[in-house]
Parts: sequence; structure tokens; C-alpha cells
Amino acid sequence: MAEDFLVATDLHKSFHDFKAVNGVSFSIAKGEIFGLLGPNGAGKTTTIRMLSTVLEADSGEIIIGGHSVRKKAESVRALIGVCPQELALYEDLSAMENLIFFGRMDGLNTRDARAQAEEYLKLMGLQDRAKGRVAKFSGGMKRRINLAIALMGNPQLVFMDEPTVGIDPQSRNRIYETIEGLQSKGMTILYTTHYMEEADRLCDRIAIMDGGKIIAMDTPRALKAQLGDSEKATLEDVFLNLTGRSLRD
Amino acid sequence: MWLIALKDLRIFVKDRAALFFFIIFPFMFILLFYFLNLGAATDERLTYYLVTSEAEGGLSHQIINLMETKNESQLKPGEPVFVVESNFDEAYQKVKDGQLSGFIAFPADFTERMTTGSGAQLEVVVDAGAGYDRAALNGIAAAIASQVGAEQIVIKASVSLLVEGGIIPPDEESINQATRQILAEITAEQSQTGGEPSFIGFDIERVGDIESGNPADYVIPGYLVMFVFFAAAVTAEAIVRERQNNTLERLLASSVNKSTILGGVYTGTAVRGLIQILIFWVAGILFFKVDLGQSPLAVIILSILMVIMSSAFAVMLATLVRTQRSAGSLARVTALILAPLGGCWWPLFILPEWLQTVAKISPHAWANTGFNKLMLFGADLGAVVPEMLALVVFTVIFGAIAIWRFRTSAV
Ligand SMILES: Nc1ncnc2c1ncn2[C@@H]1O[C@H](COP(=O)(O)OP(=O)(O)O)[C@@H](O)[C@H]1O
Ligand SMILES: [Mg+2]
Repeated sequence: MAEDFLVATDLHKSFHDFKAVNGVSFSIAKGEIFGLLGPNGAGKTTTIRMLSTVLEADSGEIIIGGHSVRKKAESVRALIGVCPQELALYEDLSAMENLIFFGRMDGLNTRDARAQAEEYLKLMGLQDRAKGRVAKFSGGMKRRINLAIALMGNPQLVFMDEPTVGIDPQSRNRIYETIEGLQSKGMTILYTTHYMEEADRLCDRIAIMDGGKIIAMDTPRALKAQLGDSEKATLEDVFLNLTGRSLRD
Repeated sequence: MWLIALKDLRIFVKDRAALFFFIIFPFMFILLFYFLNLGAATDERLTYYLVTSEAEGGLSHQIINLMETKNESQLKPGEPVFVVESNFDEAYQKVKDGQLSGFIAFPADFTERMTTGSGAQLEVVVDAGAGYDRAALNGIAAAIASQVGAEQIVIKASVSLLVEGGIIPPDEESINQATRQILAEITAEQSQTGGEPSFIGFDIERVGDIESGNPADYVIPGYLVMFVFFAAAVTAEAIVRERQNNTLERLLASSVNKSTILGGVYTGTAVRGLIQILIFWVAGILFFKVDLGQSPLAVIILSILMVIMSSAFAVMLATLVRTQRSAGSLARVTALILAPLGGCWWPLFILPEWLQTVAKISPHAWANTGFNKLMLFGADLGAVVPEMLALVVFTVIFGAIAIWRFRTSAV
């Protein structure tokens, strides 16, 4: 693969005495879709928050696009887009207003922001609802807006934290297609989920996280191969196998 | 920064309920209290001193004796308390020192003028600094004059009838005695003859200056202070919502830095406050005939400082609490405690001294004192510099806490 766009080394983050992230290291190559897979509370979101400059790590180092998150947060922010696990939208504004606002916050001028907003709304199949108030949207539509906002401002790396949680199959499918389209344009993506089939379908490589640690990291195929019969095994099996074992430790 | 402010304003404008609360609601309150105050203006129990420069035995002594409040508990609502004081200079000094709100003085030649029929002039000395507004004072002074005047007409008429009829000799002692008798009868009957104060006039000498008796002149600023603060404080909720609905985190990961975000949120709140005071003053002047006093500029500056201070408070509150709900309730509780304490619902100067001192912990008290000085007592800009400085100090304190909290705890 190409050179690494993101390198995270030995990240630690505790909340009070609780180690949410406990020595996580991985790297993502440019243009790669990297999956962070794990049950709830594994530390995926905490990891993403550290990577996206919002949360300071207790220790460890993060380099994104050649910039250290600790020292050059501003430069990193210009490179990334974040689709948070929880919806981060202004419910009282229209879809269009949300997109333009966040685009402007990413440094776009009004014209570019509007052009991109139109483009991404179309990509998400929401062009007809551009002027509708977000509060009136369905869960799936909000999810798609949430993702579209992450794409504003030409990011090279997008963090997607469970972007498909709790939505209808149509919305979910649209999101899959979007992600695949983005990858073909050279975008690097970090994708977290606890849906195995999702990771299987989308990701080039997967890290399985549990209890704040990465307990396995490889391509979906290789992970399944660990179970022996790679044809019949699903990632679910791999996952249960690994996390189950770690519970017994 | 402006973009964030603009976005907040856009959200705000779309919120009909907030808009209602922001503009219509305050005016419903103002209207209500405006009329309550119109009615209540003369209903305050004032203590009036009665002073006479006449020698003992003069007519004024009789009147004073009559008017003196013997038993305060028997007073009807709105009736002033009258206390007799013998020394004019002492009373005058007391007014000057602010110990006394006012007194009525009878001239040394009162009896002579009354008996010769040339008409006597009462002197009403009131302390503008004590803050009773002129409408109330006028009303009371007029009531006194009319009461005294009416009684005097009766007495004068009766006495002269008695003299003319030769029933009593026309010497001073006899007249005085007759007057005393008639006065006693009047008191006994508790007669309240109405009528114009045709015989005794009164002059009001104001120690200080009271320009206006329009209740709106203190009702409007009071509510301006209350609602500007209230509306701003409640936006703390919206700021916390920004944090809770994760948009703040999203902003933090975008290309704007923290101080811009804080500045934007602050600006949005402040702009809203500025629009609010604009509406308040325009409506106040158009519909309530508010008089901004000698220095409208000072009133405007004070209003703007109030907005700046309130916005800083809102941002500080937002950085101190965790949940939207606690932000909302804390904002409301603070606003509702500080409003009456700070003199938004009644003039501060009618509160006991110790409460006035306590009130100084609220920015409201300073703002209201400033507005009262400007709009009731005719002060100019220079006189309200302390109040303005106090608001600046509050702003700095609130702002510093907000910035410190935002730096250390952001999300
Ligand atoms: N701000 C926080 N304060 C305290 N504990 C937290 C905080 N954020 C996350 N945690 C805890 O850290 C653990 C990992 O959380 P998270 O990273 O959200 O997991 P995931 O995204 O994999 O579900 C959880 O047990 C969670 O309760
Ligand atoms: Mg999570």
C-alpha cells in the first residue's frame, strides 16, 4: 500500500481511574478504509476523539498527514472530517444551512460551501429535502446529513464513528455506496462499527478492539482464516472467538 | 466568529416560543406593572414632617397638632405619616442628609396672613435623592394643601362671621381661641370637606431634581434589566445544548479555534441582547413616553453594558454546568432572584438600607441605580460612571471564569 496517512502509537486515555484506551497502536495507509471493530465500551469513540484533536491523549503519539496532533492540531483539523457517533446537527436549521455552516467553519467560502453542500446532499439522496428543517427528518436522513457534514471542506481523512447505527436498510445502503465512492476518489477512512458484515463489506483492514486494547488486526480475509475454514467463517465468529477469549483472561 | 453568531441568531429566529418570550412577554409584564404603578404611585406610606416657624400659640400649631399622626395603626392605606418637628433648619438639613424624604413648613407669619386673608404659602421641601417620584409627591402635597386649605376656609369663614357678628372681640387671643374651638369641632366630626386649595398654596422645593412622574421611567428600565439578563441567561441553555448535541465537538474538530467559538457564541447572545434593548427603548419612548433624562447617551451606554455583562454571565453559566436542564433552571433561578433583589420590580431605594447593601452583589442593582439616577433624578453621564464601572467589573469576572472554564474543560 501507499505511505501511512495516519500513525497512532501507544495511545492511552483514562477517565478518572478507568482506562478507556489502553495502549492502542495502528496505522492507516492513504486511500485505505480501516475498520475499528468492537463491542460497546471498547474504546472506539475515545480513540476517534483523540485522533480528531478533540480529546487530548494521556500519552502516545498521533501523526496525521505528517503533522503531530499534539503540536499541530490546526493543520490536522484542516485534513480531517468527523462523522461522530452521536448526531451533531442543528435541528432547527435546514439540511442546507447545516452543511453550509460547517463548510464555512472548515474554511470554505460561501460559494464553495454551497456547491459542496449541493453535491453531498445529492450524493446522500437528500437534494429534495435541502430546505427542510433537520428536526423533521427521519433517523436515517439525519444520519446521512451527519455524514455529509463530515465530508464538507475537502477532508483527506474521514473518521466515521458508527455512521449506520439504528437506521433503515435504504439509508444504510446509500451510506455504503457513498463510502465506496469516496474511497475510489482516494479518500482515507477510519470506520468504526459493531456490525461485522459492515466491516467485512467495506474495510480493507480491521482492528478488533476490546477493553481499550486492540486484540487483533488484519484484513477481513486473514482474520477469518485464523479460524481455519475461511470460506464458512464469518467475522462474527472471529469476533466472538476473540472477545470471548479475552473475557476469560 | 460572526458566522457562529449568525447561525445562533438564525436558530433563534426560527424558535417562535423563544421569540415570544423574548419580546412579547416582557411587554405584557411592563404593561401590567405600568398600570399597577400608576395606581400605586400615591399609595406609598410616606413620612412627612410638619415644621412651623411661627411662635407658639400660632394657628399653624393648631393645624400641625391636628395633622400629626397620633396613632399610625389607624391610618388608611396611602395616608402619610405626619411628624411634628420644630426646627426648620434641622429638618432641612435632615432632608439634605437623606434622613428625611421631605417636610412641610409653615411660614412665621402664617397666622397673620391667614387672619388678614392675604393667603399663606406653605413650603414643601422634598428630597429628590430619596427617590420618591414627583407624581407621588405632588399628590401628597396637593392633598395636604387641599385638606389644610379646606379646613382653613371653614375656619376663616367661621371666625370672620363671629368677629363681624360681634360675638367675639377682634383681638388676636379671641380669634385664636375661636379657631381652636372650631378646629376641635372639625376634628370631632371628622369632617372631610373637599374643595380646592384656594387659600393655602404650596411651593415644592426640591433638594435635587426630579423631572418626571411617569412610572414607565423606572418600570421600563427595571424590566429591561430583568429581561435582558433573563434572556441572556437562558441562552446558556442553548450553549449547553451545543455541547450536548455534539455540535460543539464537531466545531472543535473543524478549522475554527476555541476562542473563535467562544467569541461567536458570545456575540450571538450579545447581538440578541442589543436587539432587545433597541426594541425596549423604542417601544418605551413610543408607547410609554419614557423620558431618557438629561443624558440619553448614558442610558444607551448603560443598556449596552447590561447586555455585555449579561452575555458574559450566560457564557460563564454554560461553562459551569453539565446539563441543559441545569443550565436552564439555574439561569431562571438566578435571574428571578437577582431581579427583585436588584430592584427590577420595585425601586431599590424603598428597600431597607441593609438590603440595598446586599443588593449590590447583583449587577441588576447597579444597572437599576444607574437608570434611576439618569431617568428619575436627572443625573448626567458623569454621575453614573460608578455604575458603569461596576457592570464592567462584573463582565470581566464572568468573562474570566468563562474563558478559564472553556480552556480547561471544553467538552
Ligand atoms: N468522557 C468520559 N468520561 C468517563 N468515561 C468515559 C468517557 N468517555 C468514554 N468513557 C468510558 O470509556 C469507555 C469507552 O468508551 P467509548 O470509547 O465510547 O467506547 P465505544 O465507542 O467503543 O463504545 C466506556 O466504558 C465509557 O463509559
Ligand atoms: Mg462509540
